[in-house]
Amino acid sequence: MATITRPTGDLKLGPDRDGRIGKPISLPVLENLGFDSQFGPFYMGFWNMAAYLFGLMAAFIWIMVMFAQVAWNPVAFVKYFVVLQVDPPPASYGLSFPPLEQGGWWLAATFFLTLAVLCWFMHVYTRARTLGIKPYLAYGFSSAVILYLVIYIIRPMWMGDWSEAPSHGVKALLDWTNNVSVRYGNFYYNPFHMLSIFFLLGSTVLLAMHAGTIWALEKYGAHEEWAELQAPGTGTERAQLLWRWCIGFNANAYSIHLWAFWFAWLCGITGAIGIFISQPAFVDNWYQWGIEAGINFPDLPPAPLQ
Amino acid sequence: MSGKAPKDPRFPDLSYAVLPGARSTRVSGGRTIEELEPEYKIKGRTTFSALFKYDPFDFWVGPFYVGFWGFITVLAIIFGTFFYVDAVIIKGPYSLPQNFFAGRIDPPPASVGLNLVTPGQPGFTWQMTVFFATLAFVSWMMRQVDISMKLDMGYHVAVAYGVVVSAWITLQILRPIAMGQWHEGFVLGVMPHLDWVSNFGYRYKNFFYNPFHAIGITGLFTSTFLLGAHGSLVLSASQYRGSEGSDIEDTFFRDVQFYSVGEAGIHRLGFIVACGGVLSANMCILLSGWVVQDWVSFWNFWTTLPFWSNV
Repeated sequence: MATITRPTGDLKLGPDRDGRIGKPISLPVLENLGFDSQFGPFYMGFWNMAAYLFGLMAAFIWIMVMFAQVAWNPVAFVKYFVVLQVDPPPASYGLSFPPLEQGGWWLAATFFLTLAVLCWFMHVYTRARTLGIKPYLAYGFSSAVILYLVIYIIRPMWMGDWSEAPSHGVKALLDWTNNVSVRYGNFYYNPFHMLSIFFLLGSTVLLAMHAGTIWALEKYGAHEEWAELQAPGTGTERAQLLWRWCIGFNANAYSIHLWAFWFAWLCGITGAIGIFISQPAFVDNWYQWGIEAGINFPDLPPAPLQ
Repeated sequence: MSGKAPKDPRFPDLSYAVLPGARSTRVSGGRTIEELEPEYKIKGRTTFSALFKYDPFDFWVGPFYVGFWGFITVLAIIFGTFFYVDAVIIKGPYSLPQNFFAGRIDPPPASVGLNLVTPGQPGFTWQMTVFFATLAFVSWMMRQVDISMKLDMGYHVAVAYGVVVSAWITLQILRPIAMGQWHEGFVLGVMPHLDWVSNFGYRYKNFFYNPFHAIGITGLFTSTFLLGAHGSLVLSASQYRGSEGSDIEDTFFRDVQFYSVGEAGIHRLGFIVACGGVLSANMCILLSGWVVQDWVSFWNFWTTLPFWSNV
């Protein structure tokens, strides 16, 4: 049973393995729990430092504008933290740059937040390349980046109106999520929302299945997956037999991670499609769409059932 | 590297030790199912044979293990599916494919309270379907216990599945009992159960303000993130043949985010996050209507805390 396709030659280690500063910090109690105890050494590269810098600038704008809203009262700031919010420009401004107090701060914060997200993608990508592994983590992260860009940048620009984007704030984000569902006729009827929820719950199930299987087989070394997927031992054999005997078929130490990758990746992608097509130009009312698609029958009273 | 660094002697050791000889069972390229399966197909070592020295269903059918709990599962699946398919698909008000989406089995009316419904009365089919589904789920979990015993491994898979089953039991049994009527259970059916979830959220004003809902959603998102990160890391490391060996995984994540939870740790963390998220979701359902009627005014406690009530 060939578990993996071996590359024809060794992947080359990149030259740039410097840039790590400091000595590793150890927190031994984590070892008692089966977790790794080592923090660092701390890699300081261009892309992750840029991401932290832009992220801090976005957070700084967000925090300061909210702080000003409570007249710089620290107790009020903590008390009202979850309900304070930085709003995008009103619809009347369209995509033009408004005064700072009327959405300009939101635009600035979103600009830096977007830069931070894109720099983090570059960080994950370049670091994998430098260390000589394929940038699959960046590929996986692309799903989250696309979902973020669709919600905050692409959909508002397509609709010509920054006010379609969520405000920055804890309660504001929840309210936006609630309101966009109500505005477009209940997202429960949105098939891409259904798919996204399927992959979200499916990812949680897959994680519990895989993580539980491997945790249960630590004494056989099943968690040493790099070794196990090249040369499966009794740990992986038991993992495979558990699922073969339980559900009739099984993945192997390699393919379970393919399942994992695609479930997680598709969660973000289907969600991005679902939110993007929720706009007047495409689908204005998912409830109505459900009727036309033949999955929703509000007008026919169901016959009485037992 | 987890498992290799020193531990903290002041705290209990909840770590693990790999059995001597376990690593030497590794075969390059692996063995086929046909080669390895006979070694593990031993008789006995199930819950039933541990209790009664004998398990009448201790055999396999094709790839499936049966066991006593597998037998119960099959019975429950047959009965539960019969009630569901008969009421929703066959006797539904629409055409067969429409019934698949729109067909429904409603819980008993509120007047039934916590009584059992007699055959032919509204809610009988719901109670039967829920009963047999619960029986099937619990038996399936016990079957996972059987298989784990046979393979001499931990019971984590059965525990994780038990957490999912607990969500079903909370929704269909515990919360209806707490509310005093089976009517509180959710409608069975593809689109109707979505409507039920949607209505349930707004019945308690706004479920987005339910803190246990928020924690549950965070657990699901974190699970998806962990799954994507772990899956992609192992896929990329699987092609790595450099000098770091399996340490490349830890090296990469330390460079990315200054910390790698480790090969064993990621599976422990994933298990905890996934199960914890679902358990919190159980709480958000159970408390709604039983303890909290309105998740918006629920937060009044926050603004009226004594140390900042006048701010």
